[in-house]
Amino acid sequence: MAAETQSIPTVHPAAHDEEEDHRDQLMFDPRPREEMNHMVMDAMTHTTPRYWLAVGILGAIVAVCLFGMWGYMIATGMGLAGIRKPVYWGVFIVLLVFWIGISHAGTFVSAILRVFKAEFRRPFTRAAELMTTFGLAAGALYPLVHLGRVWVFYWMIPYPNARWLWPNFRSPLVWDFLAITTYLLSSTIYLFLPLIPDLAMARDRTTGWRHFIYKTLSLGWRGTEAEWFRLRKAISIFAVAIIPVMFSVHTIVSWDFAVAQTAAWNSTIFGPYFIIGAILSGVSAVVTILIILRSTMKHMDYFIRPEHIDALGKLLLVFSMAWGYFFFNDYMVSWYGGYEAVRQILTLHASGPSAWIWYCMLIFNIGIPWLTLWNKKIRRTPWAMFIITLLINVGMFFERYTIIPMTLGHQRMPFDWGEYSPRLPEISIGIGSLALFMLLYLLASRVIPLVPVWEVQEGQEAHSLRKVGKTTVPSVAELE
Amino acid sequence: MARPIVHLALFKEDQLEQATEAIHALRHLGVSDKDMSVISGVPYSEKILGRPMSWTRIPLIGGLGALAGFLVATFLNFGTPLLYPIRVGGMAYQTIPTAIVVTFELTMLGLLISTFIGVFVETISPSFGPQGYDPRVTDGHIGVLFSSQPELDPSLHETLEKLGAEIVHGAEAKKLWLF
Repeated sequence: MAAETQSIPTVHPAAHDEEEDHRDQLMFDPRPREEMNHMVMDAMTHTTPRYWLAVGILGAIVAVCLFGMWGYMIATGMGLAGIRKPVYWGVFIVLLVFWIGISHAGTFVSAILRVFKAEFRRPFTRAAELMTTFGLAAGALYPLVHLGRVWVFYWMIPYPNARWLWPNFRSPLVWDFLAITTYLLSSTIYLFLPLIPDLAMARDRTTGWRHFIYKTLSLGWRGTEAEWFRLRKAISIFAVAIIPVMFSVHTIVSWDFAVAQTAAWNSTIFGPYFIIGAILSGVSAVVTILIILRSTMKHMDYFIRPEHIDALGKLLLVFSMAWGYFFFNDYMVSWYGGYEAVRQILTLHASGPSAWIWYCMLIFNIGIPWLTLWNKKIRRTPWAMFIITLLINVGMFFERYTIIPMTLGHQRMPFDWGEYSPRLPEISIGIGSLALFMLLYLLASRVIPLVPVWEVQEGQEAHSLRKVGKTTVPSVAELE
Repeated sequence: MARPIVHLALFKEDQLEQATEAIHALRHLGVSDKDMSVISGVPYSEKILGRPMSWTRIPLIGGLGALAGFLVATFLNFGTPLLYPIRVGGMAYQTIPTAIVVTFELTMLGLLISTFIGVFVETISPSFGPQGYDPRVTDGHIGVLFSSQPELDPSLHETLEKLGAEIVHGAEAKKLWLF
């Protein structure tokens, strides 16, 4: 016999007290669209002397530490850097992997959470997507920096040259070029598509140069049914297609190492191990950025709330556990294999002169997240989450440092062992690329509406309170 | 007979029900679906609005782009080693496992870029239906655009006003893009 069901009436409006209980959630604290537009535009157009000071300082760091030092290194030669026999891949490659990892944040938050209809994603998808684009921009510099003779970078591009000499498409380094190019282009477009309605909103509220930019970029958007239909269709295609591209990018980055016959690199688990590390560092960076935006930009405390930091904190705990699992899996199989060179490397990671890096990696990526993120109070405390997520990213930097120079320095021939120490150019360019990322983000925050207002309003319209028994519970309608 | 102009029945953001009733009423009073269009600041599906399904060629354009990417990848994987053969690491000139990587990346690149091109081309192309606009739409208002004679039928006017619409006559969009 079929069970009899009784529909539960939707509460319009809910009892006052019960509604108040949910007011701390953005989806149950709606404001008129006009007001939300005003808040986003105000945050975007409001600049203080402190803002310009930060832009000036970051711009100077980029000019001196990144481009100045890089130019000096090009003029003088790669010998300025600390890379030398036996370690030819140093901080430049560590930072390439680090920035590509950070770039996984946007796709994860925006595409995967969109596909799975995770409603909490709505106010911060764009902030995360921006991280992807700028993280990739910072990361894409490093193959060029590491190249040394940067003026011949176009040899990587497949085109019919005079000698018909083509790149070797069986090489992971060429796959890297293709994967990073694909990911950079597709994530930039994926940032742009949901931005079109917000650019039209900005177009209708600005004059002068801003109006010209928004008018150009909004492609004459009016918000007709056909336009929305096309946009949703394209976003759906992107959301589904960009996920495997994201997975492929860091898998290919891991293959730069794993396909080599280098002890402790030749691992079949490197692909997923790198991906989970990338998502851990990317989501951590999203939390760090959201906390900064919330505390420095006007009205952001309305859109970015402790509930969002809390939800991302839970995800971080899961990813930290997954990272721990993959790390142990990689370690265990390598150690148990009994291959002497690998065993020596693992011993030196834990007891060599750079062992503090290895221990810090474990403490920051496993110890601190596991001890703190289970606690809801901590997850809802912005300053605590700021410190935790910052430490996770330091831990992830150390992980890449352990995998690359610390492993390369102790390969099969003990007479050829050596320690790697980054020199001034590597440190300077590293700081410069961090400043570049921050500068691009800072500038974009005053040109691009950082909150997708239409997505927030759509979410608020889809959410309602339903009475179930003696209480009311949040309910989400499928408006698509 | 005077040339039809674009009228706009503008509803506030909490008047979605009334907007859908207005669409029904317009249809009932002889305005065909092709002479009507809805503009809004949030995506409402055709089912919600009671409107005929929209169509797009974006998936087709995306698919063609993916095919183009696949063909380029096939040339790079299997054609270029024949143009300048280099033996590397004991591998054959043409290898399937490495070809899968390049093929995947370029196929996805073709799919995603052409999807965007599809959006771009369809957005800037001339579209059917009344070409009207009101900036209040991005403030959450819902607009029902329809083409009709400059002088609206009094019964139509009355029906829309009863539903709470603000009626704008001659709501043709000003130039919203560069061209």
